[in-house]
Amino acid sequence: MAVAGGCLSCRYHKLIWGPHSMTAGERVSGVLIAGGENGNVILYDPAKIIAGDTEVIIAQKDKHTGPVRALDVNMFQTNLVASGANESEIYIWDLNNFATPMTPGVKTQPLEDISCIAWNRQVQHILASASPSGRATVWDLRKNEPIIKVSDHNNRMHCSGLAWHPDVATQMVLASEDDRLPVIQMWDLRFASSPLRVLESHTRGILAIAWSMADSELLLSCGKDAKILCSNPNTGEVLYELPTNTQWCFDIQWCPRNPAVLSAASFDGRISVYSIMGGSTDGLRQKQVDQLSSSFGNLDPFGTGQPLPPLQLPHQTAPQSVVLPLKKPPKWIRRPVGASFSFGGKLVTFENAKPQQQPGIEQQQQRHHVYVSQVVTEKEFLARSNQLQEAVQSEGFISYCQKKIDMAQADFEKNVWAFLKVNFEEDSRAKYLELLGYRKDDLRNKVNVPGSWACVKCFAAGGCICQRTIDVIIYMWDYVDGLITQALLTGNFESAVDLCLHDNRMADAIILAIAGGQDLLSRTQEKYFVKMQSKITRLITAVVTKNWKEIVQSCDLQNWREALAAVLTYARPDEFAALCDLLGNRLESEGDSLLQTQACLCYICAGNVEKLVACWTKAQDGNSPLSLQDLIEKVVILRKAVQLTQAVDPNAVGALLAEKMSQYANLLAAQGSIAAALTFLPASTNQVCGLWASCFFAFFHFPLSHQLVLIGRLAWDPVGWEICCTSEVLCRGLSAGFVQLGLGKKDGWWQSGLGSLTCSVSQHVQALPTEKITKKPIPEEHLILKTTFEALIQRCLLSASDPVTKRKLDDANKRLECLYDKLREQTLSPTIISGLHNMVKSIETRNYVEGLNIHTHIVSTSNFSETSAFMPVLKVVLTQANKLGV
Amino acid sequence: MVSVINTVDTSHEDMIHDAQMDYYGTRLATCSSDRSVKIFDVRNGGQILIADLRGHEGPVWQVAWAHPMYGNILASCSYDRKVIIWKEENGTWEKTYEYTGHDSSVNSVCWAPHDYGLILACGSSDGAISLLSYTGDGQWEVKKISNAHTIGCNAVSWAPAVVPGSLIEQPSGQKPNYIKRFASGGCDNLVKIWKEEDGQWKEEQKLEAHSDWVRDVAWAPSIGLPTSTIASCSQDGRVFIWTCDDASGNSWSPKLLHKFNDVVWHVSWSITANILAVSGGDNKVTLWKESVDGLWACISDVNKGQGGVSAVTEGQQNEQ
Repeated sequence: MAVAGGCLSCRYHKLIWGPHSMTAGERVSGVLIAGGENGNVILYDPAKIIAGDTEVIIAQKDKHTGPVRALDVNMFQTNLVASGANESEIYIWDLNNFATPMTPGVKTQPLEDISCIAWNRQVQHILASASPSGRATVWDLRKNEPIIKVSDHNNRMHCSGLAWHPDVATQMVLASEDDRLPVIQMWDLRFASSPLRVLESHTRGILAIAWSMADSELLLSCGKDAKILCSNPNTGEVLYELPTNTQWCFDIQWCPRNPAVLSAASFDGRISVYSIMGGSTDGLRQKQVDQLSSSFGNLDPFGTGQPLPPLQLPHQTAPQSVVLPLKKPPKWIRRPVGASFSFGGKLVTFENAKPQQQPGIEQQQQRHHVYVSQVVTEKEFLARSNQLQEAVQSEGFISYCQKKIDMAQADFEKNVWAFLKVNFEEDSRAKYLELLGYRKDDLRNKVNVPGSWACVKCFAAGGCICQRTIDVIIYMWDYVDGLITQALLTGNFESAVDLCLHDNRMADAIILAIAGGQDLLSRTQEKYFVKMQSKITRLITAVVTKNWKEIVQSCDLQNWREALAAVLTYARPDEFAALCDLLGNRLESEGDSLLQTQACLCYICAGNVEKLVACWTKAQDGNSPLSLQDLIEKVVILRKAVQLTQAVDPNAVGALLAEKMSQYANLLAAQGSIAAALTFLPASTNQVCGLWASCFFAFFHFPLSHQLVLIGRLAWDPVGWEICCTSEVLCRGLSAGFVQLGLGKKDGWWQSGLGSLTCSVSQHVQALPTEKITKKPIPEEHLILKTTFEALIQRCLLSASDPVTKRKLDDANKRLECLYDKLREQTLSPTIISGLHNMVKSIETRNYVEGLNIHTHIVSTSNFSETSAFMPVLKVVLTQANKLGV
Repeated sequence: MVSVINTVDTSHEDMIHDAQMDYYGTRLATCSSDRSVKIFDVRNGGQILIADLRGHEGPVWQVAWAHPMYGNILASCSYDRKVIIWKEENGTWEKTYEYTGHDSSVNSVCWAPHDYGLILACGSSDGAISLLSYTGDGQWEVKKISNAHTIGCNAVSWAPAVVPGSLIEQPSGQKPNYIKRFASGGCDNLVKIWKEEDGQWKEEQKLEAHSDWVRDVAWAPSIGLPTSTIASCSQDGRVFIWTCDDASGNSWSPKLLHKFNDVVWHVSWSITANILAVSGGDNKVTLWKESVDGLWACISDVNKGQGGVSAVTEGQQNEQ
């Protein structure tokens, strides 16, 4: 079914599509340009034809003297159309100014028909025309004259087709309709004496040719031998013969939109549509048409904005053979270049040099290389990460912090690093004070100024009354004084103090109260604090009553420095961290963003890593690698400090920190630093896997061989595997680690192990966190086991001096979790349990030798598999305790 | 910035069309117009040919490694209309399955996230997309989406396995309820998103922005953010970054990364999804990164013929 038909009043020799607009509005359907029998060129509006309008002609012009057989649109300036007719007539039409056509130059002689006309594909002002006589002329519109004439010496070429090379400006092909010379000649205008190549694949005259714009190796030709051939004009090779019936095709065209599709018009009135991508069934052609129909109908592949109704072709009666695709795939599906990322920031790239277009030059044998590159986009990040790791490995924390202080731009940053540095120094609290602007010595100097305050201090501190003060009191005599004196002289301290308070003589009151004894002093202090409401009073209150919680909770946050200083000076070690935390919390919840950041300092003092992470993350833009680096530097250093000073469990990785560490590890891996990534990788994003998290933090300290042991341990521990398999970076990183260690030569157990375990893990992973989080409590009667062992380890830690022992003990602490789990599950046999309780008793009496004996007994009498997870650990702890004598 | 650490002479006798590293970054698979697929061991900067796989009867367009939990498995697709799945058994690579269900060139293969099992998506010039699922015992089940892209499908890319809602809040013991999705690009200038519902693949979204064939699509790896991201490149020289913020996956918005002067053949995300490698018809590979303000900037381009890379200067950047 035709899209549209109109009974248009003349016959055409040529019909082509003119320019269309891609934007909605004008001429989205383009223009149809017709060459008429009577020498007229007619412009039709296809939109109107489709709509069934009666007035469909946009413009027409009778200019040619004979039938217009040749038409071509300039592909650079689509408003320019060339037409050719009898008597060597060639006109160039400007569709925007259709009235007066131009000529490319003086008519060629002798006068003859113009059968073909074609604009050059590369140079917009070059036009070629050809005649049945076999002559072709190339015009330069800028010079307005023919620049070259091409003709076969035997004069038997009857030009039925002319096409420029899609890529090479100086080459074109001419096809001959003459049965005696059914050839296609390829010409290069630089060597215009004879054709470059002659294709002689047709046995009878060629009626039409079409050169693919998408692939210059595809030239279609159809002829009176009823063949449609696809050849490579650059080599002369016939690539493909399309299956046809016995009818001649007189026109053949590539689809401008889909380079694989072509149409052929035959004298029996059919238009066939083919795809050179082939197909496997007889129904292919119809299918192709169906595909096109739906494409035209629904999707508007021409981009014209106008949907088209379905196309249908008459049913093919001739038997269809299997349609194969082109032997060599067309250029447009041969991907010449590619780049793919892979694990560890590696980029795999390849490229293929563009094929040589010049004739006569043999394409040289190319080497086909693939390049593997390391992509590093975060140089500074990596450099800083390396520095951090070096600092950690060399334990050069102080110099690292100092470097950070020196380099810091912002005061706050400087401050934070100064605080962190103090953690590694002697007398850290005093140094904190200094950082807050309070020097002990300064204070002392100020205090030692002679005067009444000094006296007060002197009394308060010493509790004795010096002679000079008494003198002062006695000689300052007036009415109230009289009363006080009276009271004093009568030994009635209580009344004397009351009188002093009443008269606002605070100093006197206090001094007298001191003399009156502890009971009176505290009552007087209370009354004093009630009466006096200056800022400093609160501080004094706290100092005297040692109620630091109160001051931290209620102080004006603008004076947070003072509060922190006070805590640093006075707080007991056991409450110190909590107070810092409290102050930090208050600062953080304050709306003032400046104060919020200061909370970090409090958390550093408190050694609270998790809070620091939370606070820092809130205050900073945590998305960029460098800001993450900023955070991790501080966290790692603080963790180190905390491990050194507070002897806490270093495995306590909170969810947020684990997440940040994980991000950090991913970033490192993406930049190619896989080994480093492993060191930072927490095993899981929740607390449950502290053990394995610590393993990975521990990587830090370990030489390569130890890392191996660790990996080995991981590998044979199902839980460890499960955890490590949940992290893709870890999986890949581990294998990369093996490679580095030279163990990856054979793809041995670790890879297959990884495979199978990942499999099971992927099913378990979802359940894992919740299961683990809701651990059962340890039965109360066995709780003593845990507390005793933990306390023993802590005692050992406190007295152990060398880092190796400390590490051993830390590790033991972690590994005992396995015992506690067994206690929770109540899976241990009664004999083992009672043995453990005996051991605890011996520990309580500090008889470690006996403890070791009990240990040996338990091991020798129990099932190895039941106890192997924790008994060796206990032995280590007992041996150490014995050695250290704690 | 980008430094070549290994130059592998593949000894392919014709154009290379794809090169992919395995999961661990230790093996390299390449394929070529010379009809062969080759596997190299590239550890420690080496290049040892492990396998030269012959079986295709036309140029081989793409290769894809399966997740190692299924063993060492490689899929390849070719102009010969076949998809071949190769497997290493006892150190030797052999063909384990051949799929011949397409009527035209198979242009793209992509393995689904390993969480779904062993599933391969294949896009063909016949316009169809096939989904091959391993059902065990050497059996593969085939589902076919006919006429997925009129005139032909050029690329397929799976969405990362993400469970709607938080991963952690998944009830324990329950198999995660994944929604399987993949993107495809074709000669109808469209990017389409397909979603599996009740075992059937349905077209979920049709993303329109390109004015010519879509050459490649790449779904960005998940980095834990709720946003889904797809990169697409086209014959029209444009590269678009599509993002979708809502969980239902309904509202995708395109952002033009760049308009190149030539066809763009390939896009590839880094594992951390922050860098996009773009391979263009001018044989150039450029790397792009999104800045904090959401603008995409070219951070380097791979020098022609060298594989080496230089930082992009301001001038070049403007020029592009």
